Amino acid sequence: MPGDQVELLSMDGIRKSFEGNVVLKDVSFHLAAGEVHALVGENGAGKSTLMNILAGVHQPDAGTVWLRGTNLTIPDEKAAQRLGIAIVFQERSLFGQLSIAENIFAARQPEKRFGRIDRNRLYEEARLLLKRAGLDEDPRTSVEELSPAQQQLVEIAKALSFSPAIVIFDEPTSSLTERETQGLFEVIRQLKASGVGVIYISHRLREIFQIADRVTVLKDGENQGTLPLAETSTDDLIQRMVGRSLQLRHQDAVAAGNPIFLEVRSLSDPKSATKPLLKEISFNARQGEIVGLAGLAGAGRTELALAIFGVRPRGAGEIWVRGKPVEIKSPTQAIAAGIGYVAEDRKEGGLFLEMTIAENVAAACLSRFGEFRLNWREQVAVAERFRKSLRIACRTTSQNVQSLSGGNQQKVALAKWLLVNPKILIVDEPTRGVDVGAKAEVHELLYSLSRQGATVIAISSDLPEILDISDRIYVMREGTITGELSRRDATEESIMRLASLTRN
Amino acid sequence: MLNTDVQISDPLVKNKAARRRGFFSRELALAGVTIFTIVLFWILYPTSFGNFRNFSAIVRNLAFEGILAIGMMIMLIGGSFDLSVGSMASMIGVVTAALMKVWNWPVSFAVAGGLLIAALGGFLNGFIVAKVKVNALITTLGTMGIFQGIALLIGGPGITYLPESFSQFGQADFLGLQSPVWVLIILALLAHYAMSYTRVFRQFYYIGSNAKAANLSGINVQRLQILSFVLMGTLAGLAGILYASRIATATSTLGVGAELQAITAVILGGASLAGGRGTIWGAMIGVFFMGLMKNVLIISRFSSEWQGIVLGAVLVAAVAIDSVVNRRQAP
Repeated sequence: MPGDQVELLSMDGIRKSFEGNVVLKDVSFHLAAGEVHALVGENGAGKSTLMNILAGVHQPDAGTVWLRGTNLTIPDEKAAQRLGIAIVFQERSLFGQLSIAENIFAARQPEKRFGRIDRNRLYEEARLLLKRAGLDEDPRTSVEELSPAQQQLVEIAKALSFSPAIVIFDEPTSSLTERETQGLFEVIRQLKASGVGVIYISHRLREIFQIADRVTVLKDGENQGTLPLAETSTDDLIQRMVGRSLQLRHQDAVAAGNPIFLEVRSLSDPKSATKPLLKEISFNARQGEIVGLAGLAGAGRTELALAIFGVRPRGAGEIWVRGKPVEIKSPTQAIAAGIGYVAEDRKEGGLFLEMTIAENVAAACLSRFGEFRLNWREQVAVAERFRKSLRIACRTTSQNVQSLSGGNQQKVALAKWLLVNPKILIVDEPTRGVDVGAKAEVHELLYSLSRQGATVIAISSDLPEILDISDRIYVMREGTITGELSRRDATEESIMRLASLTRN
Repeated sequence: MLNTDVQISDPLVKNKAARRRGFFSRELALAGVTIFTIVLFWILYPTSFGNFRNFSAIVRNLAFEGILAIGMMIMLIGGSFDLSVGSMASMIGVVTAALMKVWNWPVSFAVAGGLLIAALGGFLNGFIVAKVKVNALITTLGTMGIFQGIALLIGGPGITYLPESFSQFGQADFLGLQSPVWVLIILALLAHYAMSYTRVFRQFYYIGSNAKAANLSGINVQRLQILSFVLMGTLAGLAGILYASRIATATSTLGVGAELQAITAVILGGASLAGGRGTIWGAMIGVFFMGLMKNVLIISRFSSEWQGIVLGAVLVAAVAIDSVVNRRQAP
């Protein structure tokens, strides 16, 4: 139990700002040996920045870090490793074509004379680490042959190879099934028993109640309290994270009689695909409806959106828009059919970072500004309109999108599609990495779109968000739809059950 | 720190607006260095450097590389590049010459035929890169060898004594400048207009900036990539024909190294291998600057070996300064 344990780590009065944006304001965080300490908060609350300071990626502007009673500065990642601080990353950072053992000991392989790698020792040590991490695989297997969950375990084995005093888990279960999650918890309990301090970052409050001793809530860079889990509840944590209790804000449920705008009929990936994922997917969405697509990472939600939008090749199946089958083989055809897609990662698939706000807003319907000569003045005028209506914070619409904050970038990405005015708008993780205020504005925008008679299909890994905004929710797992939930029946638990059903 | 009294109706001004935050503009810096070099050498060598004949000679030699640089700038803005342009220029020069001398085609037919083959060669490059998805470096490295080989097969070392009706165009003078220079000026103005204002060509900035986002925005990335290769091939062919016309000889090795010269010029002029950056006037300054450096090195009696050393150093220094300055600005 926490009370009688030695203090392992204490971070006090940590302050950090980037380019004048204050990300952490006097945050304190303490960890005892043998403790599992959960860190929760919304996207952008400052969790990653705090952990990056601990991992030597960032330097704090103010504040102190004490490890086992010694005041430290952690200049870089190497130093953090030497101090015994290991991170199990959310995005797997493995080398796919190399073996498990080579991944675990990347750049630190045991050597014989003349720098030759001592293979026997490499595999032997890797085997021991894998056993501790709970993965029963030959260390010579190449990592790309493993499932996402097994890769996650390799990451853990890699973290263990540093004989860490502190292990940070950053959203470790986002791609794991229920059973794999329980396996991971077993590993964490063993770490705990051997006196390692564990920092556990997750959006999944239920898991936190299962595994953690204490929890610290961050909101907008401020510590909203550190408390033993026995003394709190899910509602209390959400209240602290969001700063308000979550109300069902999207009231006007759609009349069931509204026409069906989008219908997907038994859509599958082509049989010839190297890794077929989507199987026999059927769903529909009515006019004025916000339909949520929930599921774990890798469930195939983004792939489904890309298949509908004509980016991912389709095998069998049909897409009907407003009662008619449509031929969609490219985004151009999808846009012509009245479908828009706000990409999952705005930097990768949504925005032209070195280009101006006005050029970004115009990107998806350039011909509106002239078939031959583009009317630049009108592009600026249109962008100014969105700047006002979406409250995009910028100096001028001739400013590069790169220089905007995440929330404002997301608004620009949305404005691009609002200008196209699609009948059906698919939004993929519409509020990932945006602050709480902008998040509410994005939600309000989706509501107003649906009120104006458009259909919104929202993909989100953020369960409270999807519960909040959807009229109806489809849950996906491993490329199929495993269930449909009405607004009334949907809860985090019912979604998670459908999302992580194990087939046996 | 920021004045907003500029007209925002001009995309060029808009680029400057973006840079006013302290971004280092290679175009403007290079223009400054160019003017400085001119003034310096005017003072040092008032007779041999500072006269119209010398300037006319500088730009006369620029026509060939300048036309290649226009195409290369469009390629780099779209996030791609083409190594086969030098060989293409050689091959089309030789093919056009062979059409008129060996097969006795009329000059205009031979020129049209040469340009058509150039466009087809460009299409071949574009098709392999955009549709078959072979990396542009590998594709055009391959076709560079192929085109060069064809040029040597057809022309041997070259085809000389081309008909006068062909060479008179390339040697014609107007207001003291040879006609290839005028062709370059007209093409540069057209390309500048196209890249600044027209819908089709502005899409290259989107593609170069983020090809995936461009595709998801309904921009036909593949078709435009192919278009850029066809355009590049045709421009390279035209450059080869004009050069052959000017010297009344089609040389099979005319374009050796020209692709790297063109890439050097457009990068000096503000393009980036990552795509999405650059202007046609930047490409023209880049080409002019390279011609100027060669000229001043000759006038100040450095041996020709120094050309490569100086231009190489300037290229690396320009990109390095850019990278350092912009890194300091970026978050």
